[in-house]
Amino acid sequence: MKRFVLLILPAAVPTALVLGAAVTMGVAQSMGLTPVAGGPQSSLDAYSAVASSGELAPAVVISLSIALVATAIAIAVGFTTALAMTTTRFGSKVLKGLAISTIPIPHVIGAAAIGLLLADSGWLARLFGSTAGNWPQFVAGPWWAATIIEYAWKESAFIALVVAATLSRDADELAKTAAVLGAGPAARMRYVTMPLATPALILAGTLSFVYALGSFEVPWLLGRAYPEPLPVLAYRLFTSTDLEVRPQAFAVSMVTMAIALVIGVSALRLFRRQVVTA
Amino acid sequence: MRSRRPRRRLSNAGLGLVALAVAIIVASATLAPVAFAAPTPQASAWANIERTARGQTVSLWMWGGDPQGNAYVDNVLTAAAAKLGVTLARVPIADTKDALNRVLAEHQAGRTDGSVDLIWVNGDNFRTGVQAGIWKCGWADALPNIAYTAPGDPLLASDFGTPVRGCESPWHKAQFTFAYNAARVANPPTTMPALMTWVREHPGRFTYPAPPDFTGSVFMREALYATSGGYANVPASFTQSAYDRLTPALWTTLKRLRPALWRAGQTYPKDSTQLDQLFASGQVDFTMTYGPATLTALVAKGTFPRTTKVLTLKEGTVGNASFLAIPTTSAHFAAAQVVANLALSPEQQAIKADPRAWGQFTVLDVKHLPPAQAQAFANLPKSNVVPTYPVLARHANPELSASWIPKLDDGWRRQVLTGGE
Repeated sequence: MKRFVLLILPAAVPTALVLGAAVTMGVAQSMGLTPVAGGPQSSLDAYSAVASSGELAPAVVISLSIALVATAIAIAVGFTTALAMTTTRFGSKVLKGLAISTIPIPHVIGAAAIGLLLADSGWLARLFGSTAGNWPQFVAGPWWAATIIEYAWKESAFIALVVAATLSRDADELAKTAAVLGAGPAARMRYVTMPLATPALILAGTLSFVYALGSFEVPWLLGRAYPEPLPVLAYRLFTSTDLEVRPQAFAVSMVTMAIALVIGVSALRLFRRQVVTA
Repeated sequence: MRSRRPRRRLSNAGLGLVALAVAIIVASATLAPVAFAAPTPQASAWANIERTARGQTVSLWMWGGDPQGNAYVDNVLTAAAAKLGVTLARVPIADTKDALNRVLAEHQAGRTDGSVDLIWVNGDNFRTGVQAGIWKCGWADALPNIAYTAPGDPLLASDFGTPVRGCESPWHKAQFTFAYNAARVANPPTTMPALMTWVREHPGRFTYPAPPDFTGSVFMREALYATSGGYANVPASFTQSAYDRLTPALWTTLKRLRPALWRAGQTYPKDSTQLDQLFASGQVDFTMTYGPATLTALVAKGTFPRTTKVLTLKEGTVGNASFLAIPTTSAHFAAAQVVANLALSPEQQAIKADPRAWGQFTVLDVKHLPPAQAQAFANLPKSNVVPTYPVLARHANPELSASWIPKLDDGWRRQVLTGGE
């Protein structure tokens, strides 16, 4: 146990310092303690202002919805891909290569590419000879389709790799043993594969959910003017030429962080229970 | 007793600094006249600035959405700056607010070697910077090339109602302009109300960028002038009573326009770049810009349809000037001034005014330039798409004071974007 703690220190200490400084500054700015102009004054005005502006609630709803749908698709696609990776030759070569090559692409590049692909005057619309008005509104449309597709595409590769890594070691052997003992495909999936994969699915799913909740560039590029997801709202307030609005930007960021924390902690509890029962 | 030691040490350090400063001032005061037999004190001061500037690198933060502007800065202005020993590095940004935010953050952190040396700025961004005290001031009036501008030019003396006071040096003049595709708009409207009527009669063929985007915000001010019966009826400086009296008509008009906009007004382009893309791909029939001179090149390159025409409105459109400002966090004050002065020189202003280079209107008083330099402006090519600046600016409307802008942007969000009928 002691050695384990020592080993993670080089990673944990800088992370804690950077995160601690950022969160402290965020809290201080959201409470009006470091204004650009005028003297510091501690208050929760920024929180009540942003809550009463009627922008916060729709932002929370739209952010959670996008993250939920995108993560659900990513889990389904990622898990299936992981199964194919660990059980077929095609999967272990081609799919794994595809997933690995997806990881280093930054989300902002992915979002720009998805935009070029799916926009009304985009590549696919031209390929299908679609005239203005009859192409589905993926980009800037009411269902946030392009945003969700971008997250689902990037995160499914991530989930596939994480789950495949946990499955690859013993799943095949255990499944074979189970088969020898008379377990059919459904039983093997239920009693061997799922219990092995679930902890990894919970962790990877939580990471991608929290990422989708807090990321700015994808909904900003592919989304619509209203309602705004939390990070887009925070950014607009942060860049407002009205300096008195800046604390509100940090209030929105703190709210986003609180939601992410609640989700992270509950996922961790779920993860512990899974590991214990497994 | 414990608290005394550091305090004393501090005052020692302070004394040392003061002594050093005195020594430097005395030395420079005695050395300067020997080193430079300059004709006037200003010229010698400027020679000092040019000498200090040599070897420095200036980071110019500017909106990067105009490839021609980027090319002009990278190829022409940077080369001319290099001749003066200054390295010019352009930092492209999606919105001038990004540069402002960087400076504000560095200002809060107390940095004096900030990453921003020069910002292309005007309007509410300039005003916000003045409020936060992040601009170096008084330097722009002392630039040698400021002599070529018209004394008391109202567009250069105040920036959206904020007095300039030498805190920024003029770079371009601009005239807000609508452009349309003549192949699709047979009888173009000639007034703002007629344009609104056209929009309602042709659903889905018009939109504007969502304020607080710069261009969308200007469109909204044009609409405010129209619904108020002309700019003369809108007081230049913000008052709540004027806002309460004038904006209901504006919101009603824009809300009535909404169902006839692109995507039925359910969403809006994020910025003028997206609106230009919609226009270029034929999804809308109008676009709008605060830099109309760039239209010539966009048509020549085939980005915009060949039938693109500028819409001149009878009541005129708003005009402004944009500037270069130096933040207090810059460590390269001298070099930044040298670049600002260079950008203001008749040679650079004439190259920049050529639509093949960038096509930004000059801030200089061309009528009173020395003949050789005036000739460069007379030789500028004529455009088939864009009328000349005097024609465009014939009925120029003044900009509202910058204090209006956040209020109007905010009102638009509440009333038009999220508000019901």
